[in-house]
Amino acid sequence: MKRVIWRNFDFWLFGAAIFLSIFGIMMIQSAIAGNETLAQSVSRQPLFLAGGTVLMLIMAAIDYHYWSSLARFIYIFAISSLLVIYVVGQARFGSARWLDTGVILIQPSEIVKILMIMVLADYFAKNMDKPHDLKWVFQSFMMTFGVVIWILLQPNLSTSIVIMVIWFALLWICGIPLKYLLILGLVAIILIAAAFPLLEDYQRGRILNFIFPDPEASYGDTYNVEQALITIGSGGLMGQGYGQGTQVQLRFLKVRHTDFIFSAMAEEFGFVGTMAVMLLLVFVIWRCLVIGRTASDLYGSLLAYGYAAMLFFQTAVNIGVNLNVVPVSGLPLPFISYGGSSLLSSIVGIGLVESVSLRKGSIT
Amino acid sequence: MNNTKGNKPEIEKWRLHVIYVLIAAVFAFYALRLFDVQVTNGDYYLAQSEDNRTSEINIQTERGIIMDRNGVVLARNVASYNVTITPADLPGDPTEEPLPGAIQEIYRELSPLIDIPVSNGVLNDETVKLFTPCYTDFGITEVVVIQDTNAPYTAVNVACDIDKETAMIISEKATDWPGVGIEIEPIREYPTGDMTSEVIGFLGPIPATLEDYYLEEGFVADRDKVGYAGVESTLNETLAGKNGKRVVEVDVAGKEIRNLEPPVDPVPGNNVKLTIDTRLQAATKAALIGEIEWWNRYFNTIRSSNGVAIAVNPKTGEVLAMVSYPTFENNRMAKYIPAYYYNQLLADPLTPLFNHAISAEHPPGSVFKLATAIGVLNEGVVTPTQSVTCPGKITITEKYSPNDPGSEREYVCYDDLGHGKVSFTRAVALSCDIYFYKVGGGYTGEVDEGLGIDRLAEYAKALGYGQVTGIELPGEAEGLIPTSAWKRINLSENWSTGDTYIAAMGQGYVLSTALQVVESAAIIANDGVYMQPTLVREVLDSDGNVIEPFTPEVKWDITKDPLITVFDENGIATEEKKTVAPWVIDLTQEGMRKVVADTEGTAHNYLDNIIINGKDIPVAGKTGTAEYCDNVAQEKGLCISGSWPTHSWFVGYAPYDDPEIAVVAFVYNGGEGASVAGPIARKIFEAYFELKAIDAGEQEVAEEIE
Repeated sequence: MKRVIWRNFDFWLFGAAIFLSIFGIMMIQSAIAGNETLAQSVSRQPLFLAGGTVLMLIMAAIDYHYWSSLARFIYIFAISSLLVIYVVGQARFGSARWLDTGVILIQPSEIVKILMIMVLADYFAKNMDKPHDLKWVFQSFMMTFGVVIWILLQPNLSTSIVIMVIWFALLWICGIPLKYLLILGLVAIILIAAAFPLLEDYQRGRILNFIFPDPEASYGDTYNVEQALITIGSGGLMGQGYGQGTQVQLRFLKVRHTDFIFSAMAEEFGFVGTMAVMLLLVFVIWRCLVIGRTASDLYGSLLAYGYAAMLFFQTAVNIGVNLNVVPVSGLPLPFISYGGSSLLSSIVGIGLVESVSLRKGSIT
Repeated sequence: MNNTKGNKPEIEKWRLHVIYVLIAAVFAFYALRLFDVQVTNGDYYLAQSEDNRTSEINIQTERGIIMDRNGVVLARNVASYNVTITPADLPGDPTEEPLPGAIQEIYRELSPLIDIPVSNGVLNDETVKLFTPCYTDFGITEVVVIQDTNAPYTAVNVACDIDKETAMIISEKATDWPGVGIEIEPIREYPTGDMTSEVIGFLGPIPATLEDYYLEEGFVADRDKVGYAGVESTLNETLAGKNGKRVVEVDVAGKEIRNLEPPVDPVPGNNVKLTIDTRLQAATKAALIGEIEWWNRYFNTIRSSNGVAIAVNPKTGEVLAMVSYPTFENNRMAKYIPAYYYNQLLADPLTPLFNHAISAEHPPGSVFKLATAIGVLNEGVVTPTQSVTCPGKITITEKYSPNDPGSEREYVCYDDLGHGKVSFTRAVALSCDIYFYKVGGGYTGEVDEGLGIDRLAEYAKALGYGQVTGIELPGEAEGLIPTSAWKRINLSENWSTGDTYIAAMGQGYVLSTALQVVESAAIIANDGVYMQPTLVREVLDSDGNVIEPFTPEVKWDITKDPLITVFDENGIATEEKKTVAPWVIDLTQEGMRKVVADTEGTAHNYLDNIIINGKDIPVAGKTGTAEYCDNVAQEKGLCISGSWPTHSWFVGYAPYDDPEIAVVAFVYNGGEGASVAGPIARKIFEAYFELKAIDAGEQEVAEEIE
């Protein structure tokens, strides 16, 4: 076990994450735009941030190697937490994703993302010496899919994809041979083609709408993304000012506190402010990658890389949706979008990476 | 303790680099895209967001009212009550199924009051697309659901044009029924209806062809209406007013947040006082229709299907009454123009939508002899005292050119016994055809050179024939005054001597409107001064202040304005123009007086001896029995050579010495002028002077019973 050196605590990473979260709370306040029902639920976000910060510090203090030894248990816990919601879960907005803990509603799938980083990092670290053959690929896939299937059935396609991306990122880092990559690519294409008819109507619609925009459909399907673009564009260089964006405040922008909070931000803070926030997000990802590089062991590296991959993917997809270059998917913008579970998993993930940072290097 | 297992060399560096590159590429692309959307195209999107939040609300103005000369209202706006529901204000979600109890209760209580079912019809793309408030079979629930998806904060009409009592009941209940309201919509009403519809006209929706123009002027299609006929059409600009405008900020649900610009209040339309006297109009209409129906009953067939009667003030040009029969009921077009009624009017062979007084062209017949009469005296074709023999029948050579040997043709007077020796005033009084043939076309031995068509045309035009009068009504016809040039151009034929004979008595190619005929008499009555005929007495602002007072307008004075082209001895027009000598008009007036006053005058039996309140009203005039052979007559086989069907005309004025009113009466296929049109004119004169006596507060004089 390594000695904890608090000097190694990455204050930049911590600071950036907390700053983004606080900025997020501020942005959510603006995005409520007088909607009373939203205002009530949104007031919980600071509580989640406070609780999350405590959890993060605890996570940082715990030696991450414990998670390696608990991997099996964590894996089983992840699956059971997902199965529980089928029994006592709450269906919201058409899919069963929520678990009512009595105090707060939790989305287990958000927490499972972090758990799966722990489990997969353990698998790849332990199997680094073994040949990187098809069996290695297939085994890790089956392990991931054993969890993902339950999320997919909720149905929650976007979170499923996030976990599959974490799996793929670790596969890449750990050196998947290029020929397997090719095979994987082909299999993926076939699977997507086969799965397309199985998708829910709204999901198919979103994808088709993105690829073949229907010029007739000015209202309805394309409304949200169209309004998002108008919202972003009307921000201009310097923005309309906090709480002053007409698209946000007069509610032309829909789902503005979650999926489209980036657009809301772009309208009120303009190109300059939005770029600053975007760079801060890139900074957080970059710090995670640096910690991964300097980690004292492979397990630590993979934890940090896995988390960085998750953060990057979610950020990229969310902003892409807002800029209308990616089909609409319900992925939140890490730290900023409203959503307790999402904020919790992002913040706890930072704790996990800090734990790696604290125990890095051999220089005493 | 060192963990050797976790050494980094196991991770290939290039794989990390790929990830760095990927991250850099994605965010660089996003930065560029963000720059493109926010900075490069920022203005474009800003304009769209402005468009989202700004809403222009057009505030409807009020159309001016139309009154007669005494202030009797002829067209006004009345309130029509509509029941509205604002979906967002209802107690609950109106799209929920089943409906929330509170909403159900409102619908259930409202339904019997407005006679619209709580729920009816199926909502789907097709039916929703066809939905128009007020014209739908949907129940209340469906109408509200449609509105809720479109604009939940805007009220929708669920019932239209309900009676006032129901509207009161509902507005009282409005406190218990959140979301339900009463909207008051102005509707045009014509209290005098079909008595004045030919003059007033009616309103209709903004026509598609003129939509751009009206939208530019601030009108709203599907809401604002414009005049389609009568003065509603010609005075539209005066009456319409200007709509107001508010530019407001709205949220996504259409709720108004604030004014973005200072609101522009609507400017109400101006009110118009017409020259019409509704009482005289009623009397005129009754006289015309009564006479037509009397003769139709007498012959036990629909002999006359249309007619016109007009009364004007010759000194001011004011039109006191204008009746075109048949006409339409303009109140039936008040809310919207019902297709079945409009089509019925269009298909009616009697053309009720057509203003016969100004748009129908008929041969004027003998009333046109007034133009000939003035012409022959002024040109010196005959002297006033010169006698011309009327043997009842003459034979004249019909020639197409001076050297044409021609063919002999017989021309008869209406009285085949003839009138003996006839001089000017007696010729007018008797309407002696032979006299007018001879002076109009010439008759060797007696009148060596007649007036001729080209000179006749000059005098006819000076009396207002052959051109529009410019009255404020749409669709006025010009009539036709032929000349030799006209015939060559239009019929490729030379003017013949026979053409002149019949033109001299208002037959042949000559066509005129009834308004032109009454104006010709008005000019003579007013000693040659042509007053611009008008329907507008005053224009008032919405507070009743006169902004355009009545000022009679002189169109021309035939005794002072040189209007008559002088022709040289070869019949070629010269540059020179001349006037009509006042004595010529005096003599014509004398002739017209004899028509009534002389025992042998054509209208003596019908228009002499009008005594109102003990005062004798001397009338002067001219009868006309105009032969015609139009499509209708031909179809009926009435055009028998030598005995064509005839229209009845009478035109005249009174009092003879100081004219106040000129009247024309025309009955299509009425037969003889004096006996059919004459009594109509008499009733109009009587009504006018009786009304005058009443207005002057004269004591009624008991009529002597003979």
